[in-house]
Amino acid sequence: MRRRATGLALAVVLALGCSRGFERAPARELRINLETEPPTLDWNLATDGVSIVAIEQLMRGLTRLGPDLRPEPDLAEHWDVSADGRTYTFQLRDGVVWSDGVPLRAQQFVDSWQRLLAPATAAEYAYFLFGVHNARAYNGGKLADFSQVGVRAPDDRTLVVELDAPLVYFPALVNFMVTFPLRRDLVERFGERWTEPGNLVTLGPFVLAEWRHDYRLVLRANERYWAGRPPLDRITAYMVQEGSTALVLFEQGLLDLVRIPPLEIRRYTERPEYLRQPLLRGYYYGFNVRKPPFDDVRVRRAFALAIDRSQFPALLRGGEQPESSWIPPGMPDANPELGLRFDPEQARALLREAGIDPAQLAPVKIVYNSDQTHKLVAEKVQAFWRDNLGVRVEVENREWKVYLKELSTDPPAVFRMGWGADFPDPDNFMNLFTSESENNHTGWGNRDYDALVARAAREADPAERQRLYDRAQRILCEEDVPIVPLFVTAANFAVQPRVRDFRPSPMDLFFFEQVRAE
Amino acid sequence: MIRYALGRVLAGIPVLWVVATVTFALLRFLPGGPFDKERVLPPEIRHNLERRYALEGTLAHQYVDYLERLARGDLGPSYKYVGRDVADILRDAVPVSLELGAAAFALAVVGGIGLGLAAGARRDTAVDRSIALGSLVGVSAPSFVVGAGLILCFGLGLGWLPAGLWEGPLYAVLPACTLAALPLAYAAQLTRAQVAGVMDQDYVRTARALGVPEARVRRRHVLRNALLAVMTYFGPLLAILLTGSFVVERIFAVPGMGRYFVTAVTNRDYPLVLGVTLVYAVLVVLANLAVDLLYAWLDPRIRVGGAER
Repeated sequence: MRRRATGLALAVVLALGCSRGFERAPARELRINLETEPPTLDWNLATDGVSIVAIEQLMRGLTRLGPDLRPEPDLAEHWDVSADGRTYTFQLRDGVVWSDGVPLRAQQFVDSWQRLLAPATAAEYAYFLFGVHNARAYNGGKLADFSQVGVRAPDDRTLVVELDAPLVYFPALVNFMVTFPLRRDLVERFGERWTEPGNLVTLGPFVLAEWRHDYRLVLRANERYWAGRPPLDRITAYMVQEGSTALVLFEQGLLDLVRIPPLEIRRYTERPEYLRQPLLRGYYYGFNVRKPPFDDVRVRRAFALAIDRSQFPALLRGGEQPESSWIPPGMPDANPELGLRFDPEQARALLREAGIDPAQLAPVKIVYNSDQTHKLVAEKVQAFWRDNLGVRVEVENREWKVYLKELSTDPPAVFRMGWGADFPDPDNFMNLFTSESENNHTGWGNRDYDALVARAAREADPAERQRLYDRAQRILCEEDVPIVPLFVTAANFAVQPRVRDFRPSPMDLFFFEQVRAE
Repeated sequence: MIRYALGRVLAGIPVLWVVATVTFALLRFLPGGPFDKERVLPPEIRHNLERRYALEGTLAHQYVDYLERLARGDLGPSYKYVGRDVADILRDAVPVSLELGAAAFALAVVGGIGLGLAAGARRDTAVDRSIALGSLVGVSAPSFVVGAGLILCFGLGLGWLPAGLWEGPLYAVLPACTLAALPLAYAAQLTRAQVAGVMDQDYVRTARALGVPEARVRRRHVLRNALLAVMTYFGPLLAILLTGSFVVERIFAVPGMGRYFVTAVTNRDYPLVLGVTLVYAVLVVLANLAVDLLYAWLDPRIRVGGAER
C-alpha cells in the first residue's frame, strides 16, 4: 500500500517534470500582460491606460503619431485648414472597410462624436472635443440640436470640423481613441454589449476574438485591414495584476512582454531582454498657495531651490530623468534649461528675506498617495528641506481616492501629482495650471500665464509658439512657483528575444501592427 | 429536518439585510467616490455620470433604491467596468473561486484530519513532533510567503508548475496548495488535540479492553467523536475558501472573486463591493447550516428541529 502510494507520487512528479506542457512559445503569437481588466473597449467611454492598449490594436483614427510624435495621415488621407485656422476638412482614405465588410464613411465619425458628446453617454473624455463649435453646450445639455455642433459629413469621404477658436494641435487630438469612428447601427443593435466578442466590429490591424473578463483578451489578425494583414496571427493579453508574478511567468516563458516591477529593474538592466522607454510623463510637487507659509512666493522659491533633483535617479532606479521645467523633453517646445536649480544658499537667503525663522516655523506637511515610489520621493524631499532649510517636515500618506478627494476639496500645503500626455502637444501640460483648470490643485492663478497658454494654443508659427511657452514656463517654474517639477518617468519592459520590432511610444502606447514573434 | 433547514434559510434573510445596510453605510462614509480620478472631470461631465449611475439623489433615496433593486435580484451596474452588471462579473468569477476553493477545502480537510489523526494517535513520537512543527509553520506563515515559496521552488527552481494563470488543472496546483496551507495546518492541530483528548476517554479504553481491533476503535470511536469540534471550524472555512482569497488570486493571477474584495473598494465600485459581500454572506449562512446538519448526522445526541417527544 505504502509502496504503491510512493510509486504513484513519483509517477506524477515525473509526468509533470517531463511534460512541461505549459512551456510553449507559439510562433506568430504574442503573449502580453495587460495587468488589469480593461474597464471597457468602448472607445467613446474609455479613459484609462489599459483599455487604450487593446483599443489601439483594434481601431484607427483620422491621424496617427509618427516617430517624431507629429500627426500623420491615417484614416484621413490628408486635411486642409482654413485661413482663419478654425475649419478643418479631412479627406478620408479610399478602400477602408470594417471587419464585417462595411465601408468606412465620414458619417461614422459624426455618429461617434455625437455619441461621445451626448449627455446620456456620460463619456468622461467628452471634453477632448470641447474645442469644437457648440460641443461643450451640447454636452452640458444646454443645446439639444446636434446639427448645430461644428462637425458634419457633406459626403462619404469628407469630414468638416469647425472650431470655436484655432487649435493648432487639433490633428493630434483626433489621433486619440475617443474620436475614432463608430458603427451606430451596431451600438443600437447590441446596446451596452456591442463591445463583446462576436458583436464588436473594428477596422484596425486586429479584431477581438475572445474576452474572458478579468483574465484574458485574445485578438486575431484582421484579414481586411486596409494597410495589409499584420505579421502576428494572435495577441493574447493576460491580466496578471501582480508585477512580480508576471515577471516569473516571463521567466518561465509563458509571457513575451511584461513591465518590470520597480524593485526588479536593477536585476534586469544588463540583460538583453531589457527595454527602457522614457515617457512624456512629469512628476511634480505642488504647493497650496493659500496655505501659509506657501502664500509667500519667496518661501515657495526657497523650498524649490532646496531640492537636489539629481539624487532621484539613484533613489528610484526606474529611468527617471530630473527635470526642472514642466514641458517634458521629447514634447515640442520643451526647454530643459528653464526652472529653478538646486541652490541651498539662495534658498536659505530667500527664507530669511521672507522673515521666516526655520526653527520657529510650524512643521510643513507633505501628503502623498500610498505607494512605494511616492513614499521614497516624499522622504527624500523631507530630508532636503530639513537639511538645507532647517525646517521641520512631516510626511503623511493617503489611500488614492481619499487623496483625490482631499486634493479637490482641501489640498494639503504640499502634495505630489503626475501628468502623462494625452496628446503630444505642450498645451496638454501647460493648460493644467491655468486658473480655470479643474486639475490645478494649487489655488494659484496668473492672468498673464493664462493668456500666454491660450495664445500659444492658437499660434501657428513655431518660433513664436516656443517663445510663448518659454515665457509661460518661466512664470510657472521660476517666478510664481506654484509647482516644482521633479523628474519625468520611464517605462521598463522585459521582452522575449523571439519578439521583433516592438517599439513602445513615449506616450506609453503600444502598437503591435509591425511586431513579429518567431 | 427539512422544515428546520428551511427555517434557517429564511432566518438568513434579515442577516443579509443587515449586511447590505452596514456595507452600504460604511462605503458612503469612505471619502472619495467612483469618479474621483487623477484627471479631474469638468462639472458637466461629472453631472452626466452621476445621472447615468443614479448617484444624484440623497443617500436615503439611493439606499431605498438599492434595496428595491436588490429585492428584485438586481445587483446593479458596475461603476468601473462600463456596461457590465455586478451579476455578470460574479457569474464569471464565482465558479473559478468555487473550483479553487473546493480543491483547497478538500486538501485541507483530508490532509488536516489525516495528519492530526496520525499525530494524535502517536503522541510524543517523532511523527507527532514533526507534524506539530510543520503545522506550526503552516499556521504562522502568511499565504503570500507560502505562495512565493512554492513559486520559487516548483515554478522557478524545478520548473514543474506554472507560477500563475488559469489554463487547466496543472495551473491549479500551486494556488490550491497555498490556499490550503493555513487551514490544513490548523485542522491538523485541532484534530490532534481532539484525538488526544478522546483517546483518554473511558469508552475507548473499554473498546480496546473488549478486544475491538485498533483500526475500528480509531474509526468508530475516536475519529467520530474527535471530528465534532473540528467540524465547527469547517463551516466558516468552507465559506472563506469558496469566496476566494485576494492574496492567492493576485499572486497566481487566478480570475476569481477574491480580488474584488479589495479592488472594488479601492475603485469605490459601490455595487460590486455590495455584490461580493452579499455572496460571501450567503455562503457563510449556507455553510453554517450544512455544518449544523452534519453535526446531527455525526452525533446522534444532537437533534435539530426539535424532534417530537
